[in-house]
Amino acid sequence: MSIAPARPMARPFPINGRLALKLFVLAILGVLVAAPLLRILFETLAPDAITAWSDVTHGRLSKNLLWLPLGNTLILGVGVACGCVLIGGFLAWLVVMTDMPFRRTIGLLATLPFMIPSFATALAWGSLFRNSRVGGQTGFLEGLGLTIPDWLAWGMVPTLIVLIAHYYSLAFTVIAAALATVNSDLVEAAQMAGAKRSRILLGIVLPVALPAVVAGASLTFAGAVSNFAAPALLGLPVRMQTMATRLYGLIEVGQTERGYVVAILLILVSALFLWLGNKVISGRRSYATITGKGGRAKRFELRAARLPLLSVAGLICLLTTLVPVAILIASSLAPASSALFSNWTLHYWTGLSDPSIAQGQAGIWSNPFIVSATGLTVGLGITVAVTTTIIGLIVAFVLARDGKGPLAGIINQVSFLPLLVPGIAFGAAYIALFGAPIGPFPALYGTFWLLLIAGTAYLLPFSVQTGRAVIQQVSGDLDESARMTGAGFLRRLTAITVPLASRGLAAGGLIVFVKIMRDLSLVVLLFTPTTPLLSVLAYRYASEGFTQFANAITVVILVISIAATLLANQLQAKSQPWLKS
Amino acid sequence: MIRIEKLTKTFDTFQAVDHMSFEVPQGAFLVLVGPSGCGKSTMLRMLAGLELPSGGTVQFGDDTVSDGDKGWMIDPAKRNTGLVFQSYALWPHMTVAGNVDWPLKVAGMSKPDRQARVSEVLAMLGIEALAARYPNEISGGQQQRVAIARMIAPRPAILLFDEPLSNLDAKLRVEMRTELLRVHRATGATSVYVTHDQVEAMTMASHVAVLNGGKIEQFGTPEELVRDPATAFVATFVGTPPANLVPVSMLPEQHAKGLRADALAMYRPENITSSAEASANSMAFEFAEASPVAGRTMLTGTQGPLRVTAVVDNAPRLQIGDMVHFGLPETPAAMFAPNGERLS
Repeated sequence: MSIAPARPMARPFPINGRLALKLFVLAILGVLVAAPLLRILFETLAPDAITAWSDVTHGRLSKNLLWLPLGNTLILGVGVACGCVLIGGFLAWLVVMTDMPFRRTIGLLATLPFMIPSFATALAWGSLFRNSRVGGQTGFLEGLGLTIPDWLAWGMVPTLIVLIAHYYSLAFTVIAAALATVNSDLVEAAQMAGAKRSRILLGIVLPVALPAVVAGASLTFAGAVSNFAAPALLGLPVRMQTMATRLYGLIEVGQTERGYVVAILLILVSALFLWLGNKVISGRRSYATITGKGGRAKRFELRAARLPLLSVAGLICLLTTLVPVAILIASSLAPASSALFSNWTLHYWTGLSDPSIAQGQAGIWSNPFIVSATGLTVGLGITVAVTTTIIGLIVAFVLARDGKGPLAGIINQVSFLPLLVPGIAFGAAYIALFGAPIGPFPALYGTFWLLLIAGTAYLLPFSVQTGRAVIQQVSGDLDESARMTGAGFLRRLTAITVPLASRGLAAGGLIVFVKIMRDLSLVVLLFTPTTPLLSVLAYRYASEGFTQFANAITVVILVISIAATLLANQLQAKSQPWLKS
Repeated sequence: MIRIEKLTKTFDTFQAVDHMSFEVPQGAFLVLVGPSGCGKSTMLRMLAGLELPSGGTVQFGDDTVSDGDKGWMIDPAKRNTGLVFQSYALWPHMTVAGNVDWPLKVAGMSKPDRQARVSEVLAMLGIEALAARYPNEISGGQQQRVAIARMIAPRPAILLFDEPLSNLDAKLRVEMRTELLRVHRATGATSVYVTHDQVEAMTMASHVAVLNGGKIEQFGTPEELVRDPATAFVATFVGTPPANLVPVSMLPEQHAKGLRADALAMYRPENITSSAEASANSMAFEFAEASPVAGRTMLTGTQGPLRVTAVVDNAPRLQIGDMVHFGLPETPAAMFAPNGERLS
């Protein structure tokens, strides 16, 4: 028996650096995004929980558990999408295509409502329109002696109005950006063909802007169906349930499996419409127009309609930005919201506990609980901004370097999955996964960590987008030209990459920070007394009737959010091409 | 026939077109040529009816279509003109056939007529196969053809082109030049063509208007412009290569004799000789570049800001840093005053 000469053996598992990084990223995404969503599904499929499906979909209670809330949710979604596209599209047309005066100002104002959290608008609505139906303080208009009917004070109508006032700026931004690409040549070419104004609008401008209109509609639809704050504040007191509020209620009372089923169905509704919208937009007719010299954009002459249209646009913008903010501020100072502008006091801000006012609640700056909640909320915002930016950058880097193959495909899909998931359903999924100890790890429920990883996962799609933009900006020619000079990797990193990337990353991080600051739907289920967050406190105060405190806290959130947004805009030096004259 | 008189356009305080007048006969191919900002695009847009003149009139045949003095103009659609945009302005949501068809539909043509006309013009431009495609699915040269097809489909009497070839590569541009002239001839229309490229102007035009600073420097046939430039600007703008202007103060003594001291003397490239050695009648230049042109050599030398180009039979072998000596003809081909006016 002869012994074969020993041959150098290939290492059985060659460690491939790239593959390892991909697997690492996939593992992170798996834990952050996929695991909670799978867990919530499996939780409802467990043998002792599977009946939750039948209870919710066709049991004795199904009408109240699912069908009525689903109906309300769809009405809200469709109504808000229509309203937003009409208002946002109207404003976008005025700002981009016409010769209306003060276009720039209107364009800026129209982007603001999205910065104001929807619960702020809902609280402001309450301060104005509350009537005595559910008891407690009445609003300013009743204080003036008007009688506010129930349908205007509570339920579907005010919820629709508040959500449209909040989301129309999303539709405005999307449609305005699309209209800005409607080269004035396209319109002039139609004019040369002899088409009348109406025909140009219907035959050329609208079809070219159609993908943006569809995108605006599906985004605002998804926003409206997943919104928790507005229906909770304006609908719940009169027992109007949406899927979001129903899900919240079920989990609060311990019927978690049923809650999870509603959460899964809510995810499906929201994702279905986003997917449909996307399908309409992405086709062979993706409209990249060839840019010519353009420049001398001809504007639609409004003639005599200029001022009337300006006042309509101005009114819409004022009613959705300055008015709610002013009401919130006034109402945080007025002892009675029925008399918003009299007897102003700083009690609700700085006052010490006084048994004769608001059951002895101290002003928010004298309440250590609220002060610590402010610290915690800001801390959470900063930490999430940092972690999600880092993870987003790594994901974007992996995708940019090697975006092919099934692994990259999965990474890409999973990292954008949270966009399809309503915040409150995402929160429910996190409770399902981390609410109980997993192996050696303790339960995270009630800790800062749970909020941190949930926030990170929830905002990952935004940070991946930021990361991609930054990498696109930095890699390629700029880096290569530095390499040609002979600069080493570290040198390039410090002299080229970091300076170029830091602004974009900081701006992206600030936007994540703002989203966390004013988020309610994600954290409302994760909230515990050990982890108080400002938005949830505002919601709790409002639902217990302490509107002044709720409004004061909301003003704090607003101030922090607006400051951060302005800073982010400054950093990005965001160009808004449609505002150029 | 197109006749414009004292046409003027002012944007705020900027005078884009300043009292321009000219006239071209039916079937002419008029090229408006000049550097950026000379007013040529504004001129074209006033012809198209997209811009109201601030003063002066535009007449197509016997009809006045724009009157800036009275402040009215006929709608673009009612002038029987077609315009090809620099960006092509193809409607991105319509197919190639749809783009060509839409103006006919607006004009109220019946469906069978439209179908016949669309296939006719698509065939004329050799793009029948693209009929069902969308603009973003075809190449730049093909988009250009679609834009032309769309323009000629309603049979306009006047074809307007706004730098239509500037987005194409060099080879395609030459092909499309021929194609455009073919379309021009086939339709029998009058064309007005705007470009900053004097080669396009000289090769395509029956009439050229050289514009500069909102004014017409010269109006004439390509031959006239080269043979008899009216201003210093025209002399140095047209021709391949353009003529040379040398300040009299820089000329050798014998040449300068008897000439106005502050004037500019024009010498044609083909009349200049070159050698490696200096002579009494030659001017010394730093060699700048050389390129073979149809069996001859185009030589350029510089002396400070002055650039002189000669086309010669036997060029000395030169390298950057060498001196080249240009021998000038005894009398210049033309003389210009310092303000550019023609003297003789």
